[in-house]
Amino acid sequence: MNNGRATPLITSVCYVRLTVSEPSASARFVSDIFGLQRVADQDGEIAFRSDDRFRTVSLGQNSADGSSVGIEVWDDTALGEIGRRLRELGFMVKEATASECRGRYVQSALLTEEASGNRIDLVVRPTRSGRRYFPPRDAGIVEFHGVGLRSTDHARDLAFWRALGAEVSDWVGDIAYLRIDGLHHRIALYPSKRNGLLYAAFEVEALDQIMQNSYFMQESQIRIVQGPGREAASRQMFLHVEGPDGLIFSYVNGMAEIDGKPRLARQFPLNAASLCDWGSESKDVPELRAPGR
Amino acid sequence: MIQLRDVSYVRLGSPDLESAENFATACLGLQIAERGKKDLYLRSDQRAHTLCYSEGDPNDQTVGFEVEDEASLQEAASTLEALGHAVHAGTAQEAERRKVRAFIGFRDPTGNHIELVVRPERSGRRYFASRDAGITCFSHIGLNSTDPARDERFWTQVCNARVSDRIGDIPLMRVNAIHHTIALVRAPKAGIQHINHQVETSDDVLRSYYFLNERRVPIVFGPGRHPTSGARFLYFRGPDGMIFEYSVGVDEIEDEDTHRPRQFGFEPTSFCMWGAKPAGMPLPNS
Repeated sequence: MNNGRATPLITSVCYVRLTVSEPSASARFVSDIFGLQRVADQDGEIAFRSDDRFRTVSLGQNSADGSSVGIEVWDDTALGEIGRRLRELGFMVKEATASECRGRYVQSALLTEEASGNRIDLVVRPTRSGRRYFPPRDAGIVEFHGVGLRSTDHARDLAFWRALGAEVSDWVGDIAYLRIDGLHHRIALYPSKRNGLLYAAFEVEALDQIMQNSYFMQESQIRIVQGPGREAASRQMFLHVEGPDGLIFSYVNGMAEIDGKPRLARQFPLNAASLCDWGSESKDVPELRAPGR
Repeated sequence: MIQLRDVSYVRLGSPDLESAENFATACLGLQIAERGKKDLYLRSDQRAHTLCYSEGDPNDQTVGFEVEDEASLQEAASTLEALGHAVHAGTAQEAERRKVRAFIGFRDPTGNHIELVVRPERSGRRYFASRDAGITCFSHIGLNSTDPARDERFWTQVCNARVSDRIGDIPLMRVNAIHHTIALVRAPKAGIQHINHQVETSDDVLRSYYFLNERRVPIVFGPGRHPTSGARFLYFRGPDGMIFEYSVGVDEIEDEDTHRPRQFGFEPTSFCMWGAKPAGMPLPNS
């Protein structure tokens, strides 16, 4: 994962910035329903915390500098190295302006796009908070865990992520689970007809919170896209729920850890049992569904 | 005092053994041990059988508890007779049908048919399930009670049961280290309220939830988690209306001498800490 370096190039998925049609309605979902802590707005963007980071989710209406996923880079040297690699591979790489950095609460950043057109911010020194995380309801959220991304150009997107030092842990059909640290995956690429964020996943304490949130969503009449379920490859339990604009937020827990030993990515068939060991199915989200069901 | 060691088996009457067999194998996942003329023996663990369907009235429901030896059995018979319970001494033939060395039968104060047995048969072959439900053993029963306080006295004073926790005035009682073997349930008449089998992991509870749902087996409570025993559970309805439970992670009472029963309020969160609500299954006090 470190590509021969003493330190990794990237260390975490640190935020998602989302463009939504009605920020206040989406904000109500994110805080009152899903359970993230709303913090001070900045420049018309509504921001939320999920852990000790200054913010991990923000909602805005400005599509010019709209949705992006933040990836934390080790340091400016690593940022330079990634920039060089991506340019070599022909990806667009742009240095973030001071105002773009401020809007992202980071010290420096490269703004890029993978082949599908998903905007990826490579950021150095994202801001932490001195105050502990204090959520509005007891959803049991521990931290922002990772993202699922829709991919229209499977091979090129994979080249992009590999240039950042990510490795494929396992395949389900052509769904690629990408590892950037000691966990099975933090990023999953789902073949799709369009680009965009498929889901943002937040780790909860245990199975108890997955199930409590499942009953909470049923009582609140929030649509559960899939789950409670468990990914066969990563052993991660999940509950995918849907907010305004088809936004999917997920509670997750129990993902397998992977030690540093060389490991071959395993291939699972694209069927219902690979996507959920327990038997849950997604009816309406094609990326989460096995064909023929 | 009557020393119960463990719950041993349940015997259920059923007018339709074929349906019972279908459910027990295709849904519940037990192993057929033996098909008699009028009896169907089912295994769930290392014992030769833990559930027996007998051709007959579904109201005929019996729970067997294991006691130490034949001397304990004789002692239990005298204790019960002294208290005015009619005691039936099992014949050799009846004992054979139950796969036990000897037994007595009686009714508890509510009228539940109870048998005390000696040396129930084990099997030399390991348990091999008919479907991969993850069952590890038959573990406990919910028992109807028309007067929980009176029946608690019977089970804890005449027998050796100890109260592990209470929900309202409903006691969960143990006869060994396992949190409960007998859960009393307030009901208008005698009967077995549910039959519990333990499964390996919480994955098995969730898998069975989706599996049984797809087969249109009525799920009556769960998936959920009991705050009392800590067990993750799923209750569903089988033939003749009998409720079966899968659960995993039942606490053990570590210190018999210092354990004090905890009191939980009679409310839904005392039965499920996840938020599941019973559907088609009354809570034990209503």
